[in-house]
Amino acid sequence: MATLTARAPRRIGAPIVLILPALLFGLLVSVQWRTQLERSELSVRYNAPLLDAARSLQSEQEVLKKQLADLRAQLDEIQRGAASQSTASRDLQAQIEDLRSAAGLTERTGDGVQIVLDDAHTTVTAPAANVDKSICHSTDLTDIINAAWRGGAQAIAVNGERVVGSTSVYCVGSTIMVNGTLMSPAFTISVIGPQNELLGAYDDPNELKDVKQRRDVYGLGFRVTRASGLRVPAYAGALNVKYATPTER
Amino acid sequence: MRGNAGVIWMSIVALFLGVLAVTQIKAQDVYTRSLELETPSSLTTLIANLAERNNALRDEIFDMKLRTEAARDDAANGRGTLTEAQRQLAQLRVFAARTSVKGQGISVRIDGAFDDKALSDLVNEMRNAGAEAISVNTVRIGPRSYFGITTDKSLTVDGSAIRGPWTVSAVGAPEVMYVAMTRTGGIIGQFELIYRGTRFNVSRESALDLPSLANPPRG
Repeated sequence: MATLTARAPRRIGAPIVLILPALLFGLLVSVQWRTQLERSELSVRYNAPLLDAARSLQSEQEVLKKQLADLRAQLDEIQRGAASQSTASRDLQAQIEDLRSAAGLTERTGDGVQIVLDDAHTTVTAPAANVDKSICHSTDLTDIINAAWRGGAQAIAVNGERVVGSTSVYCVGSTIMVNGTLMSPAFTISVIGPQNELLGAYDDPNELKDVKQRRDVYGLGFRVTRASGLRVPAYAGALNVKYATPTER
Repeated sequence: MRGNAGVIWMSIVALFLGVLAVTQIKAQDVYTRSLELETPSSLTTLIANLAERNNALRDEIFDMKLRTEAARDDAANGRGTLTEAQRQLAQLRVFAARTSVKGQGISVRIDGAFDDKALSDLVNEMRNAGAEAISVNTVRIGPRSYFGITTDKSLTVDGSAIRGPWTVSAVGAPEVMYVAMTRTGGIIGQFELIYRGTRFNVSRESALDLPSLANPPRG
């Protein structure tokens, strides 16, 4: 009897020790299964062909932009050669070059500031309102660009896309398009211009209030630094002037 | 033996727990964006936008090829390239807002409370819909234009105050821009919900006259 009573706690003890890990095991299996189920629901029937189409169009756009840039360079070379023939041609060519620079059709290099805008490292399980405040939106980019022009910027590029008079920053779902090019965070905004004035514009407490508040509270990535030797590429998209007719000579 | 078996089972369970915990933490990783996570509806909109941009690029490439060939022939025959230079100059003056322009398009009249962020968003939306030239009342928007607001709630463009009501006019394809502004869930619908007392009137215009940029920036 003494032996039996001594053994009984040992038989019960081993399963008790295993209950806690087993419960945890079950919990984790269940959570893991649910997570994978939610993800597989996203992969609906049409996503694969649509993704292929979007990627293919994006690649095609890069090729088309390259072709257009090559043609612009060829035409420019022909005109430069012909411009030497008469004073009228030389004057016209000088005006064209001035306007090309003003319109953002030539590469720029120089000092300025660089801004990095990035999503906060928020878990996908965070409340939707918090996720919304901790990620970058297209309006953050337009506000940053607006502040740069106010600070005297001469040239701006967002992830290598030159900002010009026709530039739009467009948001579809969680994807942002600049000049029709698909982009995801982090965004690097290169701004060539007077450094002190630009830094002053970004330091102004009335500028980018929302972005700064979301940086401080939700961890949104927003950093402005002085930068030297920046390179801002030429705009490579279409000029798309079809409906507007100049009325000045 | 029984004691060893217990240890072995405990180890196996602990190993599974470790693997699962790590996998779960990874599954709940930071919020990330990728095309793969977009809905079919968003992907369709992205594709339409990309296709439209690519078509515009193809049109311009076609046009540029013809112009390059013509300029090459003219230069080779000693005729000079004045025609091409004048054409390019006209196009660039529109693109850089250095000339007044006329053409068809749309106007958005805003009567009531409004602000600089909303004006910036409206201009951005018009550009995305293909606007070639934009003005606010009599002030032309340029490539480096910026928006602000004064203490008396006047909007500013490039530092110049413009009192309301405001008319934002855009030269471009009237139907495309009109639909882009007025579609369900579009920018005007959003404004109407946010600025409840403000009247927004979007109209197609057959003949708009927009001024040139008042003070083109230097440098």
